Amino acid sequence: MAQPSSPNGKKVSARVAIVAVGVVSPLGFGLAETLESLRKARDCVSSVRRFSVAQCRCKTAGQVPDDRLLASQGEAPHSRRLHRASHMMIQALKEVVTQQPQFKPELAVIGTTSGGMSYGESYYRSLRQAGHLRHAPTWIANYPAQKPVIDAQAVFGISAPCQVIANACASGTNAIGHAFECVRSGRYQRVLAGGYDALSEMVFVGFDSLQASTPEKCRPFDRHRTGMVLGEGAALLALENLDLAQQRGASILAEIVGYGISTDNFHITQPEPSGIGPRQAMERSLQDASVSAGEVDYINAHGTATVFNDAAEGKAVSGLFNSVPVSSTKSMMGHSLGAAGAIEAIVCLLAIQHQFLPPNINFSAPDDDLDLNIVVNEARPAVLRTALSNSFGFGGTNASILMRKSRA
Amino acid sequence: MSLAIAGMGWVTPLGRSVDSVWEQLLHGHEASATTISEQFGDRDYSVFRVPESAMAGVAHPRLRRASAISRFAAAAGLDALHAAGINLDSQNAERTALIFAISNGGVIYTKRFYRDVVEAGAQSASPLLFPETVFNAPASHLAAILGITGATYTLVGDGAVGLLAIKMAEDLMANEALDHCLVVGTEEVDWLLCDAYRRWRLLRLQPPIEPFSEQHLGMILSEGAGAILLGREGPLIIECAHPGGYFTKRGEAEEILKRILGDLSQTEIDLVIASANGTFVDQAERRALKQAIPRTLVYTAKPSLGESAGAAGLWQVILGAQALRSAELPPVLHADPAVRLWLSLARTPVANARRAIVLSCGVNQQAAGLRLAVG
Repeated sequence: MAQPSSPNGKKVSARVAIVAVGVVSPLGFGLAETLESLRKARDCVSSVRRFSVAQCRCKTAGQVPDDRLLASQGEAPHSRRLHRASHMMIQALKEVVTQQPQFKPELAVIGTTSGGMSYGESYYRSLRQAGHLRHAPTWIANYPAQKPVIDAQAVFGISAPCQVIANACASGTNAIGHAFECVRSGRYQRVLAGGYDALSEMVFVGFDSLQASTPEKCRPFDRHRTGMVLGEGAALLALENLDLAQQRGASILAEIVGYGISTDNFHITQPEPSGIGPRQAMERSLQDASVSAGEVDYINAHGTATVFNDAAEGKAVSGLFNSVPVSSTKSMMGHSLGAAGAIEAIVCLLAIQHQFLPPNINFSAPDDDLDLNIVVNEARPAVLRTALSNSFGFGGTNASILMRKSRA
Repeated sequence: MSLAIAGMGWVTPLGRSVDSVWEQLLHGHEASATTISEQFGDRDYSVFRVPESAMAGVAHPRLRRASAISRFAAAAGLDALHAAGINLDSQNAERTALIFAISNGGVIYTKRFYRDVVEAGAQSASPLLFPETVFNAPASHLAAILGITGATYTLVGDGAVGLLAIKMAEDLMANEALDHCLVVGTEEVDWLLCDAYRRWRLLRLQPPIEPFSEQHLGMILSEGAGAILLGREGPLIIECAHPGGYFTKRGEAEEILKRILGDLSQTEIDLVIASANGTFVDQAERRALKQAIPRTLVYTAKPSLGESAGAAGLWQVILGAQALRSAELPPVLHADPAVRLWLSLARTPVANARRAIVLSCGVNQQAAGLRLAVG
């Protein structure tokens, strides 16, 4: 790819550091709990309690417990009225701010798929069933997708303009990728990137209606895989021009070095069977970083565990890479849609920092059609310098980011 | 970095085609309101809808099951490319990015999908409807129609999202691997949206929208799409896209707008395309404009076209481009002449106008702006 240019037209290519991260997911609150869950290969998927799933095939999801999530109420004004997604974002940003109190982003690029959807559901149900609409203004005010991003920033006195990307399941990775390009180009010095999504009945039923979700365990890349389970969460990465971060003495956790995006236009819900879209995204991220496939030490796959998605991604991975370790951590926490790419980027970061391969759990038998080196069921130590994270979504949107241990 | 406007497409309640809609605005026409109701609703609402005749000839297999929002977007996007004389093939499609701006998204199918769930249970949920409820469904349809295989983004926000999408285009075009970026803003209306905005005290039940009124009686929702193909060279340029910011209380909107206007008006400005829509936005804009650039001509088309949320920012940019291109402004309808702003209350020549600010304040906490110039 050609070099980007700065606002004054000068060609620049700044290195992009991750200086802080924050995460809330079914794996835990914060980096320490997330790391422990990954290392212990915990299955954090449980029975859905938020709404009735009696008529759904799938009955489970990865869920963030309300008792802990709402324990921090009071950090934001009117916090009782805020959507759960706002509380997740507040928790994630709190962790970022704790690590880097001086990080003041010029832009926030955040992915989501459904914003405050469950408030929309409450509103509709109340209207339809002639119920109480006393809370309608609260539901409506907290429904928009940008609201959790604004709520979280407001709590910590951050006032960055928000670009909310809704590229379906690729949103989180697209958000990080775009933020990376913004900093690399020299147009911005500090960008907050990430994603969020909270479980909602409509989305849950939607995936169930497509028979994309499974009544069984989520088994990515397994011969007997039967589909995905949904999840939820929020994750944020503070990206900064590496030189400036070093000048101010900030810790460099890792670098983002490449981003690839592609659109395969095959079908609104199904991937092109040959895997051309995922392959293009991965190839473009490698080219973008001037990194060869052989230099990649680990791939955090999109790996939803649906028959078609895993087949397409598996073909793309085996076609490009030679036996690189692959895992889908969605097996442990479900698919958190707009948050997935951001959470999985943090999984890659932890893997690089702590030199281990995160596991692909519930794996029982390899798929003969997929030539993949799966990290089966347990985390294992490894020397990791470079990791690739994939996210692919409805509408044929594909995104990959490449992360590297900092040589700073 | 400046971007050039290479082509525009416009689908509105006053019809489709940039020249035709502009001509009607110059003549002081306004869209006709349609009444919409809902079986379980206790009141009707007025909206400005896109006439069916405007969508004649918009057909593609990808649009067969698509919602109105996707069809509006496809029509506007194809018109913008046509206006630029660009036919995308496999090579230039890869060098073209697509950015969508959306606020409420595919609300018609979303409501229908969830209605089935509420009325008949999850087993009745339609697997055909669900994919069309996803925010990026319109973008994926247009990408497929055009054969775009590279960067495709859908941005979600309020009425300011259109300008945020152009800001994103400016950032993307910093990469010389891209020749063009097609930015499309699109929205569809539904009873449910009207009811929600009414409960939030932002909607009035009948037209007109009275811009900049002290009373802010509310807006009328509308639908349609606007598309702008951005390139590197052309007679009209976007000199600067301002990402603006957010406000947590309505009273804070004025301060952000003042900051945007201050940053964008460091060179002489001839006119402003405002976002006044009959809500609290008007007061914030009025005060900010009065303080930052009091002697600049102001126009808003929302009394004529309604509030189209995700499409609104793109419509405003098209209005600004047309004003600079044709050297005149249409009349602002239903404005109180006593409003202390220099409003374009009649068809007004702007013969030597070279720069315009487009100012966008959404009703859901976001604000942004940009500066257009004759290149």
